[in-house]
Amino acid sequence: MLKKPDWLKVSFNEDEVADVADLIIDLELNTVCSEAACPNRGECFSAKTATFMVMGQYCTRDCRFCNVTSTKPEALDPDEPERVAKAAATLGLEHVVVTQVTRDDLADGGAGHMAETIEALRKHNPTATIEVLVSDYRGDERAIDKVIAAKPDVYAHNVEMPRALSKTVRPDADYDRSLAVLDYVKRTAPSILTKTGFMLGLGESDEEIGELLDDLAKVKVDIVTIGQYLQPTKRHAELKRYVTPDEFETYRQIALAKGIGFVVSTPLVRSSYKAAEAVAAVRQRDLSPTL
Amino acid sequence: MKQDIVVPKLRTDESKAVLAAWLKDVGETVEAGEALYEIETDKVVNQIEATKTGVLEAVFVEEGDDVAPGQRVAVIESSEK
Repeated sequence: MLKKPDWLKVSFNEDEVADVADLIIDLELNTVCSEAACPNRGECFSAKTATFMVMGQYCTRDCRFCNVTSTKPEALDPDEPERVAKAAATLGLEHVVVTQVTRDDLADGGAGHMAETIEALRKHNPTATIEVLVSDYRGDERAIDKVIAAKPDVYAHNVEMPRALSKTVRPDADYDRSLAVLDYVKRTAPSILTKTGFMLGLGESDEEIGELLDDLAKVKVDIVTIGQYLQPTKRHAELKRYVTPDEFETYRQIALAKGIGFVVSTPLVRSSYKAAEAVAAVRQRDLSPTL
Repeated sequence: MKQDIVVPKLRTDESKAVLAAWLKDVGETVEAGEALYEIETDKVVNQIEATKTGVLEAVFVEEGDDVAPGQRVAVIESSEK
């Protein structure tokens, strides 16, 4: 194991996380915070925020960087959208982030269930902004259309890493398909903010990062998050390096120079970390001309 | 009253956790909200904050030892309930 640098120290206060953790258990919900063993869980739960993970705990894909369990998933729970909406209301969230496990076993990949979740959230949280972080739905535009029709404020799909690494670390996904999804959403619904994220530390070169940022600029992604890959266990993809905070800032500047509107890039950034702040900043800068 | 310090559940999987460092010595006072010890998991180093103010009376785990959620690692004498 590489020695952890000082910037990977995080605070954890059990009393402060208890309210959110108990609510999640009471309402029989899942969060990606817990399932992915997110290092920011202490901070986010203490601030009374969480990212809900719908459609079960089990994913149909087995990406080598991810801590979510890959196995045959459970049947969808038709009451889940209401429970997520209620939890968001109880927590008083002003910005709700919902993600999902990939459900290649379902005809629409779970897009309909995600749309229902957005609708339930709107009903119970009329002033909240809603961000969804979804799978590629295997590039099925009819599935993507279902989510678009429910009008989330932010449509996020993570490209996760440069093209070359994608083939081995993310074998069931496809780099070009992920870009095509982001492109399709922006062309179909320009008023919805598009967002993607990727990790550093898997062995990518500066050239590969540059190409990835060029590709994201081409599909006009509104928000990009860049964070440190943290190897969940020894059986996951090997961590090759810790990227310094200064290097993260350099990549942020490169991304901005390439024309990407808003970039969050520090070691502990995760795709939904400080998502509310990102959306508020983008809107304030009026980077999306149709808003 | 005596208050057990118990390792919180930081992870959901099988990966191990190590008590990397004590940030207070036995006999020292720790304030509620102040970091008391560090637990290193595969991903990060968690600085675990005391939830009550008190004097660190005894520690039962050495730096570098593996720990599990729920394990009692120390006791503090606290005037808080």
